[in-house]
Amino acid sequence: MKLAPVDYVILATYFAMVLGIGWMLRKRVSTSGDFLLSGRAVPVWITSLAFIAANLGAQELIGMAASGAKYGIMTAHFYWVGAIPAMVFMGLFMMPFYYGSKARSVPEYLKMRFDEKTRGFNAFTFAVMTIFSSGISMYALGLLLHLVLGWNFSTSVLATAAIVLAYTYLGGLTSAIYNEVLQFFLIVAGFAPLAILSCSKAGGWHGIVSRLPSNMTHSWTHMGSASQNPMGVEIFGMVAGLGFVLSFGYWCTNFLVVQRAMAADSMSAARRTPLVGAIPKMFLPFIVILPGIAAVALAQMSAAGGAHLYELPVKLSGGVWVKDYDQVLTTLMAKFYPAGILGVGLTGLMASFMSGMAGNVTAFNTVFTYDIYQSYIRKGAPDRHYLTVGRMTTIVGVALSIGAAYLAQYYNNIMDLLQFVFGFVNAPLFATFLLGMFWKRSTANGAFFGLVTGTVAASLTWGLTVAEGKGGVFGLVHTFPSVMAQNFWIAIVAFTSCFLVTVVVSLVTQPRKESELEGLVYGLTKIRHDENAKWYERPVLLAVFVLVLAVILNIWFA
Amino acid sequence: MDLRVPSGWFFTLLGVILVGMGLIAPGYRLAALTDVNVNLYSGIAMLIFGLFLLLMARLAASKSR
Repeated sequence: MKLAPVDYVILATYFAMVLGIGWMLRKRVSTSGDFLLSGRAVPVWITSLAFIAANLGAQELIGMAASGAKYGIMTAHFYWVGAIPAMVFMGLFMMPFYYGSKARSVPEYLKMRFDEKTRGFNAFTFAVMTIFSSGISMYALGLLLHLVLGWNFSTSVLATAAIVLAYTYLGGLTSAIYNEVLQFFLIVAGFAPLAILSCSKAGGWHGIVSRLPSNMTHSWTHMGSASQNPMGVEIFGMVAGLGFVLSFGYWCTNFLVVQRAMAADSMSAARRTPLVGAIPKMFLPFIVILPGIAAVALAQMSAAGGAHLYELPVKLSGGVWVKDYDQVLTTLMAKFYPAGILGVGLTGLMASFMSGMAGNVTAFNTVFTYDIYQSYIRKGAPDRHYLTVGRMTTIVGVALSIGAAYLAQYYNNIMDLLQFVFGFVNAPLFATFLLGMFWKRSTANGAFFGLVTGTVAASLTWGLTVAEGKGGVFGLVHTFPSVMAQNFWIAIVAFTSCFLVTVVVSLVTQPRKESELEGLVYGLTKIRHDENAKWYERPVLLAVFVLVLAVILNIWFA
Repeated sequence: MDLRVPSGWFFTLLGVILVGMGLIAPGYRLAALTDVNVNLYSGIAMLIFGLFLLLMARLAASKSR
């Protein structure tokens, strides 16, 4: 792929834009709360777009097109079965406690509801996870830019990291959130044309359906047994593993996204953040997955000269040529985009990377400053001290992510493993939150031992099972038809064991006084019902609307 | 700061660049699989979106005054 001068102009304009937004917002930062929590003053349309943009990193963008080409429309389950119901649950049932408890972070809620050790456990794992996630995606971006454009790995990694650092350092969370909205628009502007062009070239959806095997274009029809669908997952593993445990775990307990909703300017806005965000979210598959599916159809169509319109990219792996699905998105761009829109597409890719990285960095600095530094290193200092610490942590966080990116360059396999582990690390945590928020009898020791057991159970399940020839470090008990199925089942095991141990330990330990749990637990908290809100501002109504839309999409592409 | 102002200007500018590319250099001949003037059409869409954001910001500013 070769860029024209106009493409560089577009890219440079975007860089100037994000830095400019950071510069304009710098005056809004005078306390640590302004810097790390946006002073709880961001309008709902902004928080809801930032809510989905923080999750839409470059790896998701590339990965969704890759999965579209590999698994077909079943990839949309990550949205229509996974994310949407979880986001609705979060807005309706969990946000009142997050926002109402005045906790500044997810670990801090755990401290208020349970105790110090539960918070410490969560804060530490979360901090490590954000650094490595951000490093891994930085590595992926550097590799891609090198592969596609021949850019130097270090230059592209360091330059993008410096820009993210500059605007988050200047304007804190507000700057990250505002830029995420711009980045979301750019991702849509940069990739929607690709979806339209590739899909219409392949003869529209009907043309695609007529060219691909039926299990690539039907999301539910072939879910009866794992062997019949390309993902290798049966219906229970999909609905319980992905739809329930993994998605609820991610969207409801991952501070990276929860933080965006907590920055909203009122309780009602905080609750509507995931609900409003769910509406654009459920149409994203048409932009991010559809090009991947269209690519497979295009690879079967012949041009006038007899050659295929498009060839799926391949790479050499262990001496054999295998399909390199991760390059589907960029090779499609090269085939469809002339100079101009190519610059917008590439800028969209950079934007998605930056939104993902800024999300990680801003979540990391909040958890480090409030849950680690203020709790264990220096308590009771004046707020100005914590503002400085927050700023310094931003720099340290970016530096550590860069370190992780280089680590990923040298130890590829370790990074694959870490990414796999991050896939289910939130699974037991969701059981802890479910019991903590909805069962007043659950106790601190129950939560802590449940969480530890869930994490250990997840590791054991991973070590004792094999999928696609990998795993089974501690022995072999079961073989899964695919890595995807293995991941879903690890999540189910982790959730169930955390849930059971929390219940059992809670029943034999002393519960806390009900008066101490006000605002933290369902049944002991008065949830304001927003009587004066206009009809379209009511969370329940919005939730019903979102769920109906999601059901329609599921049936449409069943 | 009203975010609609900077993003409105950004997309207006992007739209102008793309429409310009579409008109003076119909580069769609340069992309192997594209046979429509994609720069022109997406440029128009971005221009409309940018102007829409600016209009919304203007309306909000005059209401609050």
